[in-house]
Amino acid sequence: MIRLEPRLLRPKWLSVAVPVGSIVVALVLGAILITVSGNSALDTYGRILDVAFGSVQSWSDTIVAATPLLLTGLAAAAAFKMGLFNIGGQGQFVMGAIAASGVGLALPDVTGFVSIPLMIAAGMLAGGLWAAIPGFFKTRFGTNEVITTLMLNYVAANVAGYLIFGSMSFWRLTTGSGQVFPQGRPLSDEAVWPAFGGGGLEIPLGFILGCMAAACLWALYRYTRFGFEIGVVSDSPEAARYAGINVPRTGLAVMTLSGALAGLGGASDIGDIRHVLDPKGLGQTGYGYTGIVVAALARWNPLAVIPLSILLGALANAGRALQGATFPAGLVGTLQGLLLFCAVSGEFLTRYRVRVGHKRPLSAAELEAQAA
Amino acid sequence: MNDSFLMAILVSALFYGTPLLFAALGEVLTERSGVLNLGVEGMMLMGAVVGSVVSARLGGPSWFVLGVAILAAMLVGALTALLHAFATITLRVEQTVSGLALTILAGAAGLSSYLANVWQLRDPVPHQFTRIDVLGLAGLPVVGPLLFHQTFLTYLSWVLVAVGSWYLFRTRAGLNLRAVGESPSTADAMGLNVVRTRYVHTLAGGALAGIGGICFSLSIVPTWQDGMTAGRGWIALALVIFGFWRPVWVMLGAYLFGALASLSLTLQAQGIDIAPEILDSIPYVMTIVVLVAVSAGWSSRRLSAPDALGTAFEREAR
Amino acid sequence: MATAETGAGAPVPGGRPSNAADASGPASARAGGVPAVSMRGVTKRFVGVVANDHVDLEVAPGEVHALLGENGAGKSTLSNVLTGLYRPDEGTIRLFGQEVSFSSPRDAIAAGVAMVHQHFRLVTKFTVAENFLLGSGGAYDAKTAAQRIRELGEEYGLPVDPDANVWELSVGEQQRVEILKALDRRARILILDEPTAVLTPQEADALFATMRRMADDGRSVIFISHKLQEVMKVSDRVTTLRDGKTVGTVVTAETTSAELARQMVGRSVVFSADDTADRPEVDPDRVVLDVRGLSAEGVRPQSSPKGVDLQVHAGEIVAICGVSGNGQRELAAAIYGIRRRTAGTVAIDGVQSRQKGPRESTALGLAFIPEDRLRTGLSPSLPIHANLALKGYRRPPLSRGPFLDGRAIRARAEELVRRYGIKTPSIDTPTRVLSGGNVQKVLLAREIGSDPHILIASTPTRGLDVGAIETVRHLLMDAARAGTGVLLITEDLDEAMALAHRIVVMFEGRVVGEFPRGHYDIERIGLLMGGHTGDREGAA
Repeated sequence: MIRLEPRLLRPKWLSVAVPVGSIVVALVLGAILITVSGNSALDTYGRILDVAFGSVQSWSDTIVAATPLLLTGLAAAAAFKMGLFNIGGQGQFVMGAIAASGVGLALPDVTGFVSIPLMIAAGMLAGGLWAAIPGFFKTRFGTNEVITTLMLNYVAANVAGYLIFGSMSFWRLTTGSGQVFPQGRPLSDEAVWPAFGGGGLEIPLGFILGCMAAACLWALYRYTRFGFEIGVVSDSPEAARYAGINVPRTGLAVMTLSGALAGLGGASDIGDIRHVLDPKGLGQTGYGYTGIVVAALARWNPLAVIPLSILLGALANAGRALQGATFPAGLVGTLQGLLLFCAVSGEFLTRYRVRVGHKRPLSAAELEAQAA
Repeated sequence: MNDSFLMAILVSALFYGTPLLFAALGEVLTERSGVLNLGVEGMMLMGAVVGSVVSARLGGPSWFVLGVAILAAMLVGALTALLHAFATITLRVEQTVSGLALTILAGAAGLSSYLANVWQLRDPVPHQFTRIDVLGLAGLPVVGPLLFHQTFLTYLSWVLVAVGSWYLFRTRAGLNLRAVGESPSTADAMGLNVVRTRYVHTLAGGALAGIGGICFSLSIVPTWQDGMTAGRGWIALALVIFGFWRPVWVMLGAYLFGALASLSLTLQAQGIDIAPEILDSIPYVMTIVVLVAVSAGWSSRRLSAPDALGTAFEREAR
Repeated sequence: MATAETGAGAPVPGGRPSNAADASGPASARAGGVPAVSMRGVTKRFVGVVANDHVDLEVAPGEVHALLGENGAGKSTLSNVLTGLYRPDEGTIRLFGQEVSFSSPRDAIAAGVAMVHQHFRLVTKFTVAENFLLGSGGAYDAKTAAQRIRELGEEYGLPVDPDANVWELSVGEQQRVEILKALDRRARILILDEPTAVLTPQEADALFATMRRMADDGRSVIFISHKLQEVMKVSDRVTTLRDGKTVGTVVTAETTSAELARQMVGRSVVFSADDTADRPEVDPDRVVLDVRGLSAEGVRPQSSPKGVDLQVHAGEIVAICGVSGNGQRELAAAIYGIRRRTAGTVAIDGVQSRQKGPRESTALGLAFIPEDRLRTGLSPSLPIHANLALKGYRRPPLSRGPFLDGRAIRARAEELVRRYGIKTPSIDTPTRVLSGGNVQKVLLAREIGSDPHILIASTPTRGLDVGAIETVRHLLMDAARAGTGVLLITEDLDEAMALAHRIVVMFEGRVVGEFPRGHYDIERIGLLMGGHTGDREGAA
């Protein structure tokens, strides 16, 4: 007889072994799929590695691909850690992109030292407000945030589409090729974000901001009163109320913070990568959703989001570069999906112990005796 | 505005509403058991790609090929849902995350696209669902095109709405299903098998989403495109809320949303210019409004989501 | 008629009749001698606790049999054994002479045993008819079900609208649905677990009539209660449990409330004599808690505090006694500020509370140990050090500005763990892993450790083992000795009499009696708790 038994204590080693194990299992499952469909798995993985990490240039590309995932991953980590299912990273990302490009376009001749911080602020504000809408409904009425954030992704995509395709908005290019194909106005050179690094390695500003945000978020959750309150609210709202913590306000704040991080990702997408509001491009990337994969693999730990965003960024980068006959489209998404499934299923092992046999579960008292 | 304009809207409402109806009906069954499956889009695409390959490769008369295509799509949809069922019911993974994983795994940039590539689906499929002129009545004014000139899939969906309503509200199995979704612990105490009920209806939801998928690949867009369902899986999720988890209301909602999907084109033909982005947003905004209204208690409680929706069931330890 | 070994009406000082279920007396005679239920030597152990210790229970067909006892006396365990939820470790169960062994509640239902739990097994969003159909056999036929509900309802005086949604029904009506379900499933033995706890007096009277009618039909009704008045009113016989053991079975008509109260509470300990112990010194000039005319909303009308006046002095332990659900919990929550007051004032050490919630109360020096210690008083998955900081994290020394001082938090935790003897592998251990006693120690360490003016402790020893109970009581006494006023809310009279300087009895949200130390009168207190209000003033 096989029985599941909740673990009272979660061993430390499991929190490392489970993510590593789930990545391995996902890669093995992926390999089986590749082999069954008639390609060499080793060869495919080898080429992914090579394209993603083989040269300085590929490192640069990988980090560029990782930047939006880092920020949406942090957005997901911030909210999910508190048990708020913000699936709306995508929409918040798009709103951030809209606001940041709006500010960038409005200040074409102002020095980047002024316009870039304003773009960042605008992106975060827009993303935060967009997330505050479902956050408000959630904390005020208990409206399920999963569906509302999801719906707002599509609304945001339509807002972006409307600005470029459906109207003659401020964001739309109305001269040159813009008269033939609807497209966004490009940023002025001043408003384009700088990249850092040397020896051919280029790290976009957004990635650096993301690393700083990860550190801040980690410190916020770990070292501040606010983080302490978040921990209590997510574990036991009753205890939080008993301790005099304002539960709805804490939830709304976390939702807004999460949205602001995704919005920062959108701003970086404009400032670092695209330099133009591109609704179709934003829609295809699905950064908001991949960010949740990143955060789940990182077990909602902000610092772990950094390496995992690079990992999934590498995968995305390789997918783009390798697409072709022997590297079918869809492989990247499949691998991402497998990774996420394995990660969340592996989480199960940290919560339950699988026991074979009829043995009675240990009581709290016995565990205590064992521990002592 | 004239009659032909209205007819055009109604006809396209049915045409675009049918896949939504299948997927949403399936999700109604799943959610009624207390399982939220956000992977509808992924399951639809899996059904679509398998339907395509059956149509492209299988020999025989059209009715046979299409019949096999439906069964294959149902099977694959159910298998995809099985992943979610196993993860959420047995492993008690957070339903939101698992459903999302399903969409990423099977979705537009995932397995469905991969399989389409491997199977080299490039040309229009040879066998498609075409409109059937039932009893030669298609020529009747108004009701002809609407009721007697539809594809097999549309007729099938009507049957399913009727059967679904009857099953949910007029059978013991439906009562048990609803009890499991409302209060698994009560259902358990009454001797019902919560785990089995949830598995069965999660798989059934996947099977129906699979049929929803072939509405695209074998009817609406007969040439394969990655992500051809274009986010309709998410609309189907919205529709379930919008239809208050009731098959008949879901059907009305599906046709409303279906009409909106094509309304801007129809309006443009009439010289009315409304940005399609605005019309496209309406279903999503309406869904949010409905959801807020329900959760804020502005509507009858009987219309609200199943109480146990999204929660894992674990028998009380004793 | 014989009432087991106790003898009719005679009090049994200190005695514990060992095997009282031999009283197969009057009622079983009605049905030709074979008892409907005969449980013998039933023993059920949980880790560290013997919940039922060789319990005997015999119930005749056509009898309303009361199972009387305080919380934790073993009544619920016994009924869970009878309904197949628990398997007994020892002992036999016979139904109508036939030995049975249930492995699940379904077996028990099939054998004709049904139980109406305190928490109803109803789907609230369903109609009455739908709930009626759920889990019953046969085809889905709402019309016939509705018909049957009306018929049964009429027959037993349980009117319910079959088409009403359950959430729209009053608790009493919901209970009727549960009883109707049991009747429909041809239950021959019906167990009602504290059925009147949720009812208004009128509803309770209607229920008693129904119980009588069911008994007249030849069914056996087991009525679990700790309300003496009701037991006296409705039952044919009474079996009393105390500390998991059978005290005795008596014929109701041949006993008195007073005697039952004595049996239930037990006389093994004589309290008034131990005044010599170094009892905390009361400072009569310093009122640390002054509650005047306090009213608040209750979960139910009976449990809403109504104009409560209460004073606790420095160093004084005041016990509020009462059957659970009579407003004690709401009173504590209203004083602490997590339940809204509708009238009245609260002053802590002379400072008026402005009803701003827990933060204000804490700042004024009010400490509170809630009933639900592991989920409300503590955050179960957080480590012990975080829980020990749950109230103090906002102020120095545990935090500076917006930042926590991790080192100070840990140092404080280490100190409290040492000072209060909390047994734990480390201060990083999640709190839920600890045993009940240690969990309570964590809570007490935090609350008492903040040197409050007044400590409200709501059933602080419930569910703990004997050793832990001792520790908790000592900690409360020590706090009082240090000058803290203690408001102890308890259902355990022994505890109240052992610890308190004063006992206040609450019934249906009102203070119905007050007894200073030296004038404790178990019988009177028990009667007042059971709702025998009579004159308002106590023995004082």
